[in-house]
Amino acid sequence: MAVKIFRWKAIGPLLLFLLIIAILVWLFAEPFAKDTTEEVGTELLGTQVDIGKLDIRADEAAVDLHLLEIADPFNVSKNLVEAEEIRLKLNPLALAEKKLVVENLRLGGVKFGTVRKTPAKPVEGDGFASQTLRSVREWAQQFDVPLLKLTPIDTVKQLVLNPTQLTTVKTAQALAARTDSARKALEQSFQQLNVEQTVDSARALATRLEATDPRKLGVDGTRKAIEDVRASLKQLDAAKQGLANLERQVKGGAGSLTAGLQSLDEARKKDYTFARSLLQLPTFSAPEIGEAFFGKVSIDRFQQALYYTELARKYMPPGLLPKEDPGPERLRASGVNVRFPKEHDWPKFLVQLGKVDLEIGGDSPLRGAYEAAVQGLTSDPSLYGKPTVVRTSRTAEGSAIAGIEVAAFIDHVNPQRMRDSASARLRGVELPTLDLPGLPFRLNPGRGAARLDFALRNDQLAGRWSLSSNQVAWALDSAGRKLNTLEGLVWRVVSGLKDLSVDARVSGGLRSPKLAVSSNLDRAIADRLQAVIGEEVAKAEKMVRAKVDSAVAKRVEPVRKQILAVRSEAETRLGLERKQVEDVERELQGELKRLSGGLAPDIKLPKIGI
Amino acid sequence: MLGMASFASLRMTGLQAPRLTALPRYGLAAYIAPMLALLKLIQSIIKTLHSEGTPGQVAAGMALGAALGLTPLLNVHNLLVFSLIVMLNVSFGGGMLGWALFVPLGFMLDPVFHAIGLGLLQATSLRGLWTSMYNTPLVPYTNFNNTIVLGSVVGWLALAVPIFFASRWAVARYRATIGARVQRSKFYQAIMASKAYNIYRLFRPE
Repeated sequence: MAVKIFRWKAIGPLLLFLLIIAILVWLFAEPFAKDTTEEVGTELLGTQVDIGKLDIRADEAAVDLHLLEIADPFNVSKNLVEAEEIRLKLNPLALAEKKLVVENLRLGGVKFGTVRKTPAKPVEGDGFASQTLRSVREWAQQFDVPLLKLTPIDTVKQLVLNPTQLTTVKTAQALAARTDSARKALEQSFQQLNVEQTVDSARALATRLEATDPRKLGVDGTRKAIEDVRASLKQLDAAKQGLANLERQVKGGAGSLTAGLQSLDEARKKDYTFARSLLQLPTFSAPEIGEAFFGKVSIDRFQQALYYTELARKYMPPGLLPKEDPGPERLRASGVNVRFPKEHDWPKFLVQLGKVDLEIGGDSPLRGAYEAAVQGLTSDPSLYGKPTVVRTSRTAEGSAIAGIEVAAFIDHVNPQRMRDSASARLRGVELPTLDLPGLPFRLNPGRGAARLDFALRNDQLAGRWSLSSNQVAWALDSAGRKLNTLEGLVWRVVSGLKDLSVDARVSGGLRSPKLAVSSNLDRAIADRLQAVIGEEVAKAEKMVRAKVDSAVAKRVEPVRKQILAVRSEAETRLGLERKQVEDVERELQGELKRLSGGLAPDIKLPKIGI
Repeated sequence: MLGMASFASLRMTGLQAPRLTALPRYGLAAYIAPMLALLKLIQSIIKTLHSEGTPGQVAAGMALGAALGLTPLLNVHNLLVFSLIVMLNVSFGGGMLGWALFVPLGFMLDPVFHAIGLGLLQATSLRGLWTSMYNTPLVPYTNFNNTIVLGSVVGWLALAVPIFFASRWAVARYRATIGARVQRSKFYQAIMASKAYNIYRLFRPE
């Protein structure tokens, strides 16, 4: 009997089953795609992404999104961007390879900074965007932005310094420990070199040979004696080399300890600042006043730019090697998805051309139609081969005094040369009100111009944020509180100013950025404060310095002496041992000459370079 | 991004939840449903073991069904495996039994599957193959580039033959030794006569 392999009657139920699956996919594809897009967008951007409706247009290979809202990760009550209509025209061939290549992206009805109906939920989990958000917040924390202290000067009297709080004392203790370790290490090196033993042995040989007559030794005896001298000279040569190495070690160690002494001076400067801060003395330094006024708001701008740059670097990595992403969320473990980019093929994600239409109406000087274009936004820049470019332009004539210009350039094509830069220029816009940290004033810059330039090349950043206005209004924020003398003084200076010009710059490496802020207020306030309370503050500063000096002197001086002693002791010992080696070497050279005179004149002794 | 695998969450939240909401939240149904599912599973096992299919047919069904349990369910390869269980002259009950038995094993072996999949996907000698597959139309929809999917499919392929022979031996031994006694037992009669599941189905909210 033939074995039956196929169950032909099951074709019907199987086709029915497949049909049911197809119907389910058709029914649930749109809500499922909407939920997934929201989830993935939220995860990728680290902020809540909402979509009102998603329509899949299979016949046109397009997707329409309605009412897209992306919350501002730095302000949960506002939307970063809101778009009424978005159309993505996809490349069907790339889609067949499970790649999202957007041939054309069109956003309409775009608004920025709108207030949300409900605050966005903070993104939970430990995704890359959340980690980046935390990292840039930590990055922002490292700037030591001073607060402008306007406490009345009569609190100067009491200043009690606890020496353990002072950086100089801590640095001195650490330096003392390092000096002690260096002394022990040098001692150990001297012992290991054991020059004394080498010198004693060479000297004993020289003394023994001195008492011998080469003629009585015979040829063999003389040859043996010469070999002994040569061996001893070699040992002396090694000892000299050892001493030379040790000398270098002493110089290096001493240099490092001397640098440590210089760090004590730096630490003392920090302690002056610390002690000064305990007295809450007002500063007259114009740069410090600039930072106190506008440091925080500048850092906020730079930290936002850095956040998006870091996201771009994560999601747009250079290179063609396989890349790993977390697998999909499911009951089973997610695993890892590995991408295998291939030259001249589609990237996993690409927006070839995206256009954003913006229209600002009403009687705003910014009124007009704008168009923003995004070109080459991709997950695999090395495959695409060109940088991502974003630019805006005005498509209809508007006011000459106002305008928006935004441009960005993301070049991750070459892993050795990652360049990200963005610039935004706004003219004739209503600038947001600024709170001045630690001061009971509020600044309303009115209508003016703002500009942000930010660039990150590998890990070197350069940023500039500037603000200018000639319609500045100042408001007291004291809620009925009476201003003290200094606050009143500063208020009189600033409240008369109508012009404002702020310039903040950030530079340096990502790990050690430097911030410099200046404004036209700095000099005016500094001069006024100097004139009124300069003398009293100078007295207080003198007292602060004296207190710090007396608190640290007992700790610093012994360390300074200890370092000098270690250095001097090591140098003396080195000189002494070198002299001993050279003396005994001379003696042996003399003996060698005497012994070689007893040999046949045709015997040539090898030269020993010492 | 829009892969089939993510349908798992949809199944959990979108399709099952409305049925449960018709019952009291902490009522009897919470206990009855898993009990009846278990009863149904025991019925299925016993029916399969005593069915007229040969031990080879039951074992072949179980070896195919193991793929549904060992690998993440909502993937293209499982549609193919399911079609094979339906279309080939193997025991359908055996297939379902294999699925049920290997689901917990699949969950337990996920770290092993991940290691196998990662090892294969990172192998320099195979990079050309994976790159070619990754850039071929439709192939990426199989999710072969996911470590768990690839590792578990490879794991199942390696285990399929041992599963087949072990199951065939076990079914044959069962029928030759205790099969007849079990068939006469009160437990078997009770299980097979049980209408509880069908009663539950009548009352199950749609």
